Amino acid sequence: MLQRVLTKSNKSDLYLDLIELASGLLLVGFLWTHMLFVSTILISPEMFNTLSEFLDTYYLSYFAIPFIVVVALLHFVIAGRRIPTRIQEQRIVWQHAKMLNHFDTWTWVFQAITGMAILVLAAIHVWLVVTGWPINAMNSADRMEAFWWFYLVLLFVGEYHAGFGIYRQFVKWGMFPRKPIGYVAKLITVVIIVLGLAAMVAFVRLGGGA
Amino acid sequence: MADRQLTFEIFRYNPLKPEVAPYMQTYKLAETTGMTIFVALNMIREEQDPSLMFDFVCRAAICGSCAMVINGRPRLACKTLTNTLPAKIKLFPLPVFKLVGDLAVDTGTWFRYLSEKTESWVHTSKVPDPKVQEERMDNAVANQIYEAERCIECGCCIAGCATANIRDEFLGAAGINRVARFMVDPRDERSPGEYFEIVGSEEGAFGCMGLMACDDNCPMELPLQMQLAFVRRKMAAYGLGYKEKKRIKP
Repeated sequence: MLQRVLTKSNKSDLYLDLIELASGLLLVGFLWTHMLFVSTILISPEMFNTLSEFLDTYYLSYFAIPFIVVVALLHFVIAGRRIPTRIQEQRIVWQHAKMLNHFDTWTWVFQAITGMAILVLAAIHVWLVVTGWPINAMNSADRMEAFWWFYLVLLFVGEYHAGFGIYRQFVKWGMFPRKPIGYVAKLITVVIIVLGLAAMVAFVRLGGGA
Repeated sequence: MADRQLTFEIFRYNPLKPEVAPYMQTYKLAETTGMTIFVALNMIREEQDPSLMFDFVCRAAICGSCAMVINGRPRLACKTLTNTLPAKIKLFPLPVFKLVGDLAVDTGTWFRYLSEKTESWVHTSKVPDPKVQEERMDNAVANQIYEAERCIECGCCIAGCATANIRDEFLGAAGINRVARFMVDPRDERSPGEYFEIVGSEEGAFGCMGLMACDDNCPMELPLQMQLAFVRRKMAAYGLGYKEKKRIKP
């Protein structure tokens, strides 16, 4: 087929796969760091404020936020190319997943769904934070008190996507068997979710006391 | 256990009789000791319905003909004992492949395409001399090749693959495993660039989304996750310009 022959034999599929890998790893690294930073509220509000002031003073926030937004959008486009766009293909995948009832196939389907959800939810989150600048314990506490239900969803959706995402990249590229990778990814995800929930409780309490 | 009454729900459709729409037909059968799906289907055909179509040759998990979807999973009928399944058993033909009729599919055409596409033969410039002893091969390498070569081309990995279900040109685990087999073969003189032509795209290594249904459903339990990752890394290394040390060829 002429159109296939003329466009073949280039490295674009490789580059796209590498961008998917690199942007994914960056985002997982960011998200886990982000959650650890947020969890400093568990130590003390002063600690949380010191950290956010540090990031602010040295312009790290002003660099990191736009950078991560761009990487996230890139990841959405590049990793999203895997998601079937035609309705019949989507029906095939759905029917296939239901028929097979296979764990890793189902987690992929939900990764596609959570990916779409994150696009919307993370955009709202960034908007809320940036318009409510600066980041400090009191601002975050107010936000958490008003929108705890929103952040509850975002926490689970984001960590799910990140945890299974990094697992899948290790499966695709790595030299290790899947099971141990799965255990480690799930363990980290659970730890991060617990930290996130604890931080949420801490913020809501802080807001309630104000 | 042996007293169980099994209920089979079997997909029926004959492409030569398109006027009869596809339907599910129910058969009842008394379970016997050591019964496999293969045995059960033969009993149904002999005793209840001679029109039932399904494939088999070896009944010993060697030929790969009797692969079908058993309670949702692509498996070999001859290797699946009924006592590992509930009393209600649903059988479908493998997806992706062309339907011959009922449970029989044509995997041959698909695998012939795979063999041609991956050029599944040792590419060598050496002319073999029948009078000379064969060249010796390192045992570890021979085992590595043999491990990949155990593939019986049943098609379970293809039927279980979400990508293969929506992308006709995707070579799937069977195809990528085949390429891995030749990559480790010291007799094959193909360069990484030539392999890249075959699997360095979404039709090959980079089409895999890592759902691993191939790995979980391979009746021969081939190390497909490792094989897919191996080819992916090799192709990425070549694509990024990493020069491999020249392999010493005996």
